[in-house]
Amino acid sequence: MDQIPLGLLGISHKTAPVEVRERVALSDTEQREALGHIINEFRADGCMMLSTCNRTEIYVSAEDHEEIIEKLKGWLASFKQTDLYSDSELFYNLNGPSAAEHFFKVIAGIDSQIVGEQQIAGQVKDSYDVAHQLQGTDAIINKLFNFAMQAKKKVHNETFLTDGTVSVSFAGVELARKIFSDLDKKSILVVGAGKTAELAAFHFQENGVKNIRVVNRTYQRAQELAEKLSGTASPMEELPHVLAEADIVISATSSETFVVTKDIMKQVAHQRRHQPIFLIDLAIPRDIDPAINEIGGVFLYNLDDLEEIVKQNLEKRKKEIPKSMKIIEDFVVEFKEWYSMNSMSSIVGKLKKRLDTIRLNEIERLKSKLPQNGYRQEIDVLTESIINKVVRQHVKSLKNSIHDPEKYQKQVELILSIYEIDNEK
Amino acid sequence: MKMFSQIISYLLPVLYLGVIYLYYLLFTEKNKSLAQRTTLILGILAFIHLVEIVTRNLALNTMPFSTAHDAFSFIAFSVLFVYMISELGMQHRGAGLFILSFAFVLELVSAVHMSWQTETNELLSNKTFAIHASMAVTGYTGLLLAAIYSLMYIIQNNNLKKRNIGTVFQQLPSLTYLEKMSKRSVVTGIILLGIGIMLGHYQMMIIGEYQVKDLKVIITDVVWILYIIMYLLAMKNKWSGEKMAYWSLYGFLIFIVGGGLLIYMSDSFHKFY
Repeated sequence: MDQIPLGLLGISHKTAPVEVRERVALSDTEQREALGHIINEFRADGCMMLSTCNRTEIYVSAEDHEEIIEKLKGWLASFKQTDLYSDSELFYNLNGPSAAEHFFKVIAGIDSQIVGEQQIAGQVKDSYDVAHQLQGTDAIINKLFNFAMQAKKKVHNETFLTDGTVSVSFAGVELARKIFSDLDKKSILVVGAGKTAELAAFHFQENGVKNIRVVNRTYQRAQELAEKLSGTASPMEELPHVLAEADIVISATSSETFVVTKDIMKQVAHQRRHQPIFLIDLAIPRDIDPAINEIGGVFLYNLDDLEEIVKQNLEKRKKEIPKSMKIIEDFVVEFKEWYSMNSMSSIVGKLKKRLDTIRLNEIERLKSKLPQNGYRQEIDVLTESIINKVVRQHVKSLKNSIHDPEKYQKQVELILSIYEIDNEK
Repeated sequence: MKMFSQIISYLLPVLYLGVIYLYYLLFTEKNKSLAQRTTLILGILAFIHLVEIVTRNLALNTMPFSTAHDAFSFIAFSVLFVYMISELGMQHRGAGLFILSFAFVLELVSAVHMSWQTETNELLSNKTFAIHASMAVTGYTGLLLAAIYSLMYIIQNNNLKKRNIGTVFQQLPSLTYLEKMSKRSVVTGIILLGIGIMLGHYQMMIIGEYQVKDLKVIITDVVWILYIIMYLLAMKNKWSGEKMAYWSLYGFLIFIVGGGLLIYMSDSFHKFY
């Protein structure tokens, strides 16, 4: 089977620290300039670049991709004023199916710093769109992207690689969903007006919670945050009263003592007739007395509990890597087969053209020996039919060996050599 | 037709077990892709079960519920059908393992009571009786489902309290969803059982055998009234989901299982087989 003419030059969180990654990262404008240079100056057939905070990767599609990547290192060195691109310890250089496999792993989130994170898929899509706009996508880059998206979808649907939150502030939302099925109808109380409380409240707002109230010792700050969250503000003195009206409570104050005590909560639970209330204590030292968890209908989680959830989710995701890799490997095989089929049609086209030239030459040679205009049509039909049969026989034989790369390659070489076909573009 | 129906009858418990195994794979997170196909699988199973019910009753020229096999089989079918409908709007499949396990047990009991005698009891070919029996059976199914949802509520509540966020926690739906489904099932159960009871009394009056002292009649009436009282109390006093779950579960166990055993041991005129 032909070696896929695809090369990759890349650096990631696995090979380099952030100080190095930020020096070699390419901005949007730089990416566009580099892409144009690779296509127009280095004459690559296709190119796609991915530059995020965790990786910078350049995929090049060309018969001479290895040579182009070498030239690219030199060009990037002068473009970015650093010789880091030639450091083989920092930059990896993968070719053919290995480059494709790496790309599939990246888009599926297997190669991400936080295993299974899905943001990367969107970033890859943006990179592909840029490459497409700049006419940097050829058949190989297009197909690579298509297969990668399919692989990502299959990994997402058939494994638990992307399941469960891995962000502490989002873990609260996930837990709330296990208590309340409809977050949009629930009201949330934010105790404290700092950044932590704001971020947590924002996650709930993003997930449909509309009714938000903020209480804080400094009423003005409560009002400011309430305004940001399109909610209402109350003074701290009203806490016991507003607690009874809330379904979800986020507490993140700098208080040295408990803001929500067991006595307060007992009254609140009684007022609520023990309807579920979910409290998230994000403060250190803690704002909420842990003893309130003993009250019926009251569910209290603190920072450690949320971190434990994230840890378990991450472990679960890591366990899914082998299953995900199996899917990726299947897609690499499919990509290789697609390439072989694609290259086969090009060889078949050349073979047909070669045989047709022979056929026409022979007819031309025989022309003088034939009666004037006699049998020309019949001869054309007959010879074309013979050629088609020969071509079909070769196609059949090539198709039979497509799953055996060595045999396939030998067959291709044999056809090229017998019929003296030049396989250059 | 009889042979065809017989084959399906013997096959059904195996099929139920197979479906439970699929839900077990989902529950234990061994196969995620199955989640997209479960409703279709349940649909196929429900269709096969429906074919069994129809062909059996056509072959024996009788009404459903004329034998213990028929009654248990119909309850299993209604549990399966109700769950299949509720699964349509639900992301989680965890409840399936619980609910379908009950359906499997019912189908197994049905298979144990399998008989192929043509029913001769005149009452059993009466259409009002068929509606009475089907309403009562579906009503009990509603109460059974309410108890299963309540059991799941109690498990999920404990998971949240004790911070057990493992597989069971992940697979079970939210507390408010379980509470809502339990309430709906109770209401459906009360309404259908009520219609069944009324039709039963009406039927007894028509045939002139009004036996109010029959243990099955007494227990069914008492269970129905107690369920109504408990439900109204829960609504009036706004009981918490947890309290309602315990009442629903224990209520079902005491009234229905206990009552069922009493009826089974007593000599009721309701025994047609």
